[in-house]
Amino acid sequence: MKKDVIQSTPFITLVGPPNSGKTTLFNYISGRNNKTVNYPGSTVEYSMCRINIGKPNEAELLDSPGIISLMPNSPDEQVTVDAIYSHPGLGIPDLVVATVDASQLSRHLLLVKQLLLSGFNVLVAVTMNDILERKGYKLDTHSLEIELGCRVCKVDGRTGSGTIDLIHQAELIINNTIKNYDLKRIEINNDTDTLIDLYKDIEGIEKRVLINSKELERKIKSANKAFNVLNVEKPEKVVNRPDEITIKIDRILLHQYWGLLIFFAAMSLLFTSIFWLAMPAMDLIDQTFGSLAGFVSNNFSNGWLTDFIADGLISGIGSVIIFLPQIIILFLILGLLEDVGYLARGAMLVDRPLSKIGLNGKSFVPMLSGFACAIPAMMAARTIPNKRERLLTIFILPLMSCSARLPVYALLIGFLLPPDKVFMGGIIMAGIYLFGILSSTLIAGLVNKFSNKILSANDSSSFILELPTYKIPKLMVILNNTFNSSLAYLKKAGPAILVFSVLLWVLTYFPNVHPKVDTSGLSEQQSSELIATERIATSYAADLGKIIQPVMTPIGMDWRVGVSLISAFAAREVFVSSLALIFKVTGDNDDALQASLLNAMRKAKIGGTDQKIFTTATVIGLIIFFVFALQCISTIIVSKQETGGWRIPIMQVVTFTSLAYVLTFITVNGLRLFGIA
Amino acid sequence: MKTAANLTFGEMAIITGINSEHPSARRIIEIGFTPGQQIELINKTAFNDPLAFSVRGALIAIRKNEAESIYVI
Repeated sequence: MKKDVIQSTPFITLVGPPNSGKTTLFNYISGRNNKTVNYPGSTVEYSMCRINIGKPNEAELLDSPGIISLMPNSPDEQVTVDAIYSHPGLGIPDLVVATVDASQLSRHLLLVKQLLLSGFNVLVAVTMNDILERKGYKLDTHSLEIELGCRVCKVDGRTGSGTIDLIHQAELIINNTIKNYDLKRIEINNDTDTLIDLYKDIEGIEKRVLINSKELERKIKSANKAFNVLNVEKPEKVVNRPDEITIKIDRILLHQYWGLLIFFAAMSLLFTSIFWLAMPAMDLIDQTFGSLAGFVSNNFSNGWLTDFIADGLISGIGSVIIFLPQIIILFLILGLLEDVGYLARGAMLVDRPLSKIGLNGKSFVPMLSGFACAIPAMMAARTIPNKRERLLTIFILPLMSCSARLPVYALLIGFLLPPDKVFMGGIIMAGIYLFGILSSTLIAGLVNKFSNKILSANDSSSFILELPTYKIPKLMVILNNTFNSSLAYLKKAGPAILVFSVLLWVLTYFPNVHPKVDTSGLSEQQSSELIATERIATSYAADLGKIIQPVMTPIGMDWRVGVSLISAFAAREVFVSSLALIFKVTGDNDDALQASLLNAMRKAKIGGTDQKIFTTATVIGLIIFFVFALQCISTIIVSKQETGGWRIPIMQVVTFTSLAYVLTFITVNGLRLFGIA
Repeated sequence: MKTAANLTFGEMAIITGINSEHPSARRIIEIGFTPGQQIELINKTAFNDPLAFSVRGALIAIRKNEAESIYVI
């Protein structure tokens, strides 16, 4: 047993309260070699890397999510705390490195004390020493070591100073202590008096280890002068004033009346910029893939393989890549707001209104991420301590207009707009977003009011959140995170889209590959169009489509739209590539994909009749459908994981999809009643 | 009894005790509100809830009903 332990690679867990400089330190030590992994069996993410510690050569370093105490308060914290005591994959850590913000000493020492009481090997890394010094104090590392009974290092994760010493100390501890296997868990039911006593202890320590620089100077001066060392009393009140600049900024950003206005202005700016900034890049991608598909079908021999590459692969991939600019901008702005310190303030500003409809201020960040993708958003909901509020947040998240819906909306808005009024696009898009938000609050309010059975969990609601000091954002970190998130997103959505594109192509192309049509007297262009139309009308997809035709007729559409809607269950953006495939759009004349798809849509007629499929009424109907329908298998699966059962995901699918259908029916037929075709 | 929820803008007070019956009492203490600490009401939102206090050199936002469990003088 003991031999095994010696041979295995030691591992170090980095633990610390939120905003203690923990992740900055981790990023510095790991360089670019860190990877993000999930705790086995859970969706809580952490980063890990291998570091060189000299003897033994390497150690695993784990960055754990920020916590303020070893007594968990939410499912998120439960997983984190469990993993600190015993990591599901790696066991008990050989060493815990605890980060402590020097200017927040008394608050951050609570966790260190709890770690020591539990019996961990602890090494304390003190960050933000410059901030403490600006306040006129200095930390006496040696006294703190004596007070705590463990090693203490001063580090700066931004410049890297002190990290070599930190790693050296870690090596010494790992090699000179035996791994402590008798960890004592901090009792969850620890009564409040014990906590207050612990804090009293810490306050005593803080007083003894913080030295007022001016007092120190005076002491040395007077000692030099008179050669008599005065017994200068340590200052009574230590650093208990928050950052002055932060307070000044908050006078504006958290102003009792302006605060909320500024918040809404900032959010509107966020969403309009997603649309406007991304436009040029999206046009470029659209053009590129259009010409690429055109190049393939013009320059290779006619046959199924060429058709497959041009129509199946290139169009399919193109319709996914096209919304990448919007995702990147969304992640970029979200990262910026978080790094600056504004997200926590946003949560505070909207806590009251959200609590009226059964949500929590902490639902704000998940809801905001929901505009990128419902999956990370549902995971982010784990930070909401109250179960009922968490479940309700997860329930309405699919209504946030995720980025997968962007290409769909972009196409449909493109259809509605006359060519000379493109600028209206941003306004309509903003309207759709607003509509989604309003609907979600309405549904949340209704669910909250009427269905105690759905969300039967009932524990006390709370909102306690630290507002971090405003910081100048670290651009490299944000860019890095944006890159990783976008890549992860592509990796997740990419395969599903590819598989469905191929599957759909097969369904629409076979079995009648060479349909017999009378092409006499037709130009080459016309005859190839006729062949394509005939081929699809006799394809497997048409057979399947006839089954769903009865469902599509009441909402003024035909089976081809139906097949596209069903394929959108893989991922919503597949809708666009499906339409492109089914309506046989190729970049024949080097047109941009979207432009030629719009052309094809304008011409499309319901099979066998003269009635157009895509009219103002049906396209608005489709937009309504996409606002409500839960058409994303990955979301359903994550919802099941996060809510611990099938009840809520099934309810989400049934509620949102039937609501979508009914509202689309009302919209299409209502508009027709008013004379809008 | 005067609580943190009764403070006006910029008013400072010393915590005398925490109502341990409050469901969030443990987290309120853990985040730094303990007897003897000086607190100051720094910000209110338009709805007077939540409130932001300065305690131990940090800014902490808590709901009004949680502030009511913090007794001050």
